[in-house]
Amino acid sequence: MARQSQPAMSRALQRRENVSGYLFMLPSLIFFAGFVIIPMFICIFLSLTDANMHGSSMFGNFIGFANFVKLFSDKTFLRALWNTFLIVVVSVPTVCIFSLWVSSAIYKMHGAARSFFRIVFYLPVVTGSVAVTVVWKWMYDNYTGIFNYVLKGVGLIDKNINWLGDERFALWCIILILFTTSVGQPIVLYVSALGNVDQSLVEAAQVDGANNFQVFWKIKWPQIMPTTLYILVITTINSFQCFALIQLLTSGGSGTNTVMYYIYFTAFKLTEQAGHFGYANAMGVILALAIAALSALQFRLAKEK
Amino acid sequence: MKKRILAMLLAVGMILGLAACSNGTQGSGNTPAGNSGTPAPTGNQSGEVTEITLWTYPIGNWGKEAEVNKLTEAFKAETGISVKVEYLAYADGDDKVNSAITAKGAPDLIMEGPERLVANWGANGYMVDLSDMLDDTDKAEINAVNPGTLAACTTADGKVYEYPLVMTAHCMAINLDAFKEAGADQYLDLENHTWTTENFIKAVEALYAHYGETVGAVYCAGQGGDQGTRALVNNLYGGTFTDAGHTTYTWDDPKNIQALELLKGMDGIDFDASLQGGDEIKLFYQGILKMAFCWNIAQQLDPNAAGTGSGKTINGEEIVFMSFPSETGESALQGGIWGFGVFDNGDPAKIEAAKKFIKYMADSEHAVDAVKTANYFPVRSAAEGTDLSTIWADNEIMDQYQVLMPYLGDYYQVTTGWAGARTEWWNMLQEVGRGDDIATAVANHAAAANEAAANASAG
Repeated sequence: MARQSQPAMSRALQRRENVSGYLFMLPSLIFFAGFVIIPMFICIFLSLTDANMHGSSMFGNFIGFANFVKLFSDKTFLRALWNTFLIVVVSVPTVCIFSLWVSSAIYKMHGAARSFFRIVFYLPVVTGSVAVTVVWKWMYDNYTGIFNYVLKGVGLIDKNINWLGDERFALWCIILILFTTSVGQPIVLYVSALGNVDQSLVEAAQVDGANNFQVFWKIKWPQIMPTTLYILVITTINSFQCFALIQLLTSGGSGTNTVMYYIYFTAFKLTEQAGHFGYANAMGVILALAIAALSALQFRLAKEK
Repeated sequence: MKKRILAMLLAVGMILGLAACSNGTQGSGNTPAGNSGTPAPTGNQSGEVTEITLWTYPIGNWGKEAEVNKLTEAFKAETGISVKVEYLAYADGDDKVNSAITAKGAPDLIMEGPERLVANWGANGYMVDLSDMLDDTDKAEINAVNPGTLAACTTADGKVYEYPLVMTAHCMAINLDAFKEAGADQYLDLENHTWTTENFIKAVEALYAHYGETVGAVYCAGQGGDQGTRALVNNLYGGTFTDAGHTTYTWDDPKNIQALELLKGMDGIDFDASLQGGDEIKLFYQGILKMAFCWNIAQQLDPNAAGTGSGKTINGEEIVFMSFPSETGESALQGGIWGFGVFDNGDPAKIEAAKKFIKYMADSEHAVDAVKTANYFPVRSAAEGTDLSTIWADNEIMDQYQVLMPYLGDYYQVTTGWAGARTEWWNMLQEVGRGDDIATAVANHAAAANEAAANASAG
């Protein structure tokens, strides 16, 4: 009798455990559904409509894929898309490589020294983006900026460079700021990951005659791959969503418009335009698809590795 | 079981916490700061309104809480209606208002100009028609100062969405000490504060010959202060920005192309895509630029809002306000008209209370204080018997500045598709600055502005 009731008791216990688990998750799920899942579906739906601020209905009229068709003949959007990809393609590898290099150099240091470097690189992350941007804006200033002052002082340039007002430089200036604010977290993560690499494997490889590069590539790299994958994905997403820097520095001018900024501009600045909410949502869908595709590619490559 | 109860309690607690943090259906605007989260009653038991909300852009000292409090406290003492004020910035004020409109949480009152109140929110049906507040006497008093004011506040079908309070003429400014040092002051008519295009060219040449660097910037990093660049380009050879009926953007006028070609070719004038109007003012105030195209009486009274003295740069050099150069010397200046609009939130009592506020501030003996707080000029000669025409007689700078008021030009900012047109304008200036073909850039962006206007959902 006791034997027969045992599985039933377990199932009941399991059910209670499950219910408790779900109840604990409920508050987070409410937030997740309310601020991620539901808006995501609304975004997809609105991208197929001509919804705008002044319409009688919040959801506008269904217009199929007209917004998407229009997007791919919109020169401003195509330029913004190109800029966004350029930012991602440049900043993601450089952030990963640089943070791995710094982490490799500091993770074996004494605790205090290692903490010092982590703080130095993490400071721009915890500093408010507006404060960081204002300081960079001073440094880039066409008339009184320190970059022009130094470059002129050492004789590298004769005339001031309009860093944020010249299309040849503006986007690269923004990528540089993005770089400094993006390396902090990867460095902290890599320092931690490298510290957790199994030392017995490293020592065994060294005993077998592996050089430093081989130890890194064959032993350490595979073990920090999950961290690398995480860093790649978050850096990619952050780069795709570059917004505050553009808004505060160039307002999308000087050839720095990005999809994220153009979404904001279309949705909230061009409120007179018919169908502006629908059009901005269509851009959001394209951006989400691009992020999803690139993240999937990164997962796939990491898995193959 | 204990775990389950605990989980339930936690979940309920967090949900209640979430609910407590939310604004509910009342909107944040109705909850006075410092209370325990219970929405404040905005009407007493007899249904009379006891509180209204006002959102104001930084129009002179109407952007300063201490100054506005004096006005609202006096209003409350007389009417019993308290005014909860939210101070908006131009950088994101429109976003906040648009979000509030979308969320059905617009304020009762808003203070700004016709391009927003009339051409945007009014034309889209969010505002209350205030034409019943303007009788023939009011109209005569306003027309006595500038006949264009009422037209700017009124839609084509006769609805008044802005009750005007103050106005000014936007102008430019020069660093007189720098001009004198370069021998360029001979090209200025300092008595009338005017100069011709020919003299402007000579002055810039003299300044550049003396200083060897940029003396004036055609700023184009964004739309901030773009009234200055529009007025500069339009006035040099008499070009227009829109047609007289405010239906079409006409800045592809050959006279504007001529002006842009002139500016682009001038040593000392730089098309700077890293500056907006505010940045230009700062550089002018620092003495780096010798002229500013983004200027008005508020700047003249307190350059760069730095509090270092009227009409002086940071180095104490004298700033002189000037009209924009034109072939005849008589320019058409961009006007600024600011006043109150009432959002139609479906509550007649609140609308009446908002109108009472407008009447108090703009058409009563209290208009003197309301106008002086704005640091601009009254739009009317008198208000309910109180003479407003001499309220600045005791202020020498304000008094002098009135010399520019006759040059007020057409208030074309009410043209449909205004937000899109402004974007096209500064993008066009950036293209001109980087060396693109000027005629092509002008034609492309003017066409885009007109196309955007045609597609505008307004109206």
